[in-house]
Amino acid sequence: MRRYLHDGSFTGFLTALALALERGGADCAIAPQRAAGGASEPELFAEYISAGSDPGRAAAMRELFERRGSAGSWRHARYAFLSENPGSGTALLAYARLLLEKGPAADDMLADGRVRRVHALSAAVGGEAHMFKGFVRFTELADGALYSRIEPEHNILPLITGHFRARLGGFNWVIHDARRTSAALYFKGRLVIAPLEKARLEEDAGEALVRELWKHFFRTAAIKERENPQLQRRNVPLKYRKNLTEFG
Amino acid sequence: MDLQRKLEILADSAKYDASCASSGSDRGGRGAGAAHISGVCHSWTADGRCVSLLKVLMTNECVYDCAYCVNRRSNDVPRASLTPDEIASLAFEFYKRNYIEGLFLSSGIAGSPDRTMELLLEAVRKLRREFRFNGYVHLKVIPGADRTLIDQAGLWADRVSVNIELPTDKSLRLLAPGKTKETVLGPMDRLAGRIAAYRDERRSIKSAPAYAPAGQSTQLIIGATPETDLEIMKLSEALYGKMRLKRVYYSAFVPVSRDSRLPALAEPPLLREHRLYQADWLLRFYGFTADELLDEKHPELDLAFDPKTVWALNNLERFPLEVNTADYEALLRVPGIGVTSARRILRARRAGTLKLDDLKKLGVVMKRAVYFVTAAGKYAGIKKESGEAIKVKLLEHKNPNGQLDLFGRLELAKEGLAATVTGQL
Repeated sequence: MRRYLHDGSFTGFLTALALALERGGADCAIAPQRAAGGASEPELFAEYISAGSDPGRAAAMRELFERRGSAGSWRHARYAFLSENPGSGTALLAYARLLLEKGPAADDMLADGRVRRVHALSAAVGGEAHMFKGFVRFTELADGALYSRIEPEHNILPLITGHFRARLGGFNWVIHDARRTSAALYFKGRLVIAPLEKARLEEDAGEALVRELWKHFFRTAAIKERENPQLQRRNVPLKYRKNLTEFG
Repeated sequence: MDLQRKLEILADSAKYDASCASSGSDRGGRGAGAAHISGVCHSWTADGRCVSLLKVLMTNECVYDCAYCVNRRSNDVPRASLTPDEIASLAFEFYKRNYIEGLFLSSGIAGSPDRTMELLLEAVRKLRREFRFNGYVHLKVIPGADRTLIDQAGLWADRVSVNIELPTDKSLRLLAPGKTKETVLGPMDRLAGRIAAYRDERRSIKSAPAYAPAGQSTQLIIGATPETDLEIMKLSEALYGKMRLKRVYYSAFVPVSRDSRLPALAEPPLLREHRLYQADWLLRFYGFTADELLDEKHPELDLAFDPKTVWALNNLERFPLEVNTADYEALLRVPGIGVTSARRILRARRAGTLKLDDLKKLGVVMKRAVYFVTAAGKYAGIKKESGEAIKVKLLEHKNPNGQLDLFGRLELAKEGLAATVTGQL
């Protein structure tokens, strides 16, 4: 069995995908390096190949998804990658092979396991990204900038920056994915995503009051006669509440 | 009184309005904020309802004495008012922190309807002009206010609404002295005309101003008066058709004041509310008419089954339907198939013939659909097609112990509640 390892970047992943398609073998897999060299023991009979990062090969892969696939294929590939699901690399390899074989019609094969797997990963990521357009909570800092800490399941940060740029274009803001120690930094109209371990924060003096107002509003808005904690839990899973002001 | 206390009182008075949508608008332009075309929920309260807007009244003082309303003149509740400045700045501070998607502003009628409407408009104007806010605003229109004031509402707000509250003129006269069908439907009709006129204009001149781009909505209170579901659905149908409303909200009556004219309810009729939302969805997205769902002989929606299942059981001669050849409209009428799964079926069958096993993978709820479809000629429902036999089977799924007893109804009520927010079938 061949395992193509990538460095965790999207370019690295696409390079690994290209190599797997070129050199193939029926039972090859794609996985991030970190997972292979980390806690788990390397498999005895597996052959490990480090894919490196080759922008040319990556561009060719993008072309494959865009040319051979339907209008949604490239998005499905990007989103499935961002899911960071351990099986997503190998799932995308099977999906890419199917696109090569069937062309755009592959995305119509909704009952096919290879298509369903990638579509499901993509939908999970798209769904979480949409949720976080609502779940991001900013704190105003002393210098007027807005800071938010999030811990999403999937790597959705790159998918929500455009939304907040359109919305808070006149402010400086930071959305900090504490789980991945990376942050989207929007400063004077420029946006970068960069590593960020810990942020030193000094809250604005008026912040505590606004936060209290919001918490009071949130509590008051519930109708006692209709209380339904199960429904609330389904809509706001417990794992997200830690960073939501109104549940703090 | 401090701001916190005021907000508490005015959020408390506004919470019985069921409207929560923040969708259907796309404001461009500079400044802070944008509306999201498909709407965003920011949180969910302990009752499971979505919070997307700062929902407050400007004041809960009111000259009216409507029996169903928590803010009625004769109710002994604390009263408070917010100034237009306070409203605008609160909305902006909440929006900036991404607590909310926008503002929902309503009011009791303090002094004259004109004065109330003027202050509401001033609050929204401030938010738009001084804070340069481009997010979502839903503004209530005050019945009885001057036409020129009502006309302005749609220039500043994304959505406008007048609540009908009670489905018939008779009930209005009984419970809402001072209000009639005309005082409510008049402004609604006026707004519908404005919305249509501005929309026409924008078709030829792109830069023409938008007028309530997210349209108009209203709310009906369910269970405070004796109207049947048939009457309610007929009214909704007319509102969607003639008035071009975007949404009709149904709000199970919560007894918020004591009055001998009101029914004594042990709890709000939440399951009935849920069934009305399902029927409403059937009108708007599934191509049904009110007459297909209810008639004079059966004027109430069945609480045990969703309205589409009831319709299908009454029209068994149309089933089973072959999923590989049926058209979209016919697929939508199958219990267990929704808009998403119907679209998926159309797409997937382009790639090959669908088998029964495939349907579940496409998101079809087979425990309901199985009695109503064939795939590649195969049928897995029960052999003798009788509505009663299917009913028994469907109930077994809901309540494996057999009879739909009181407890079973309770479970159904919970199921109903869980789905209320989306109205999905």
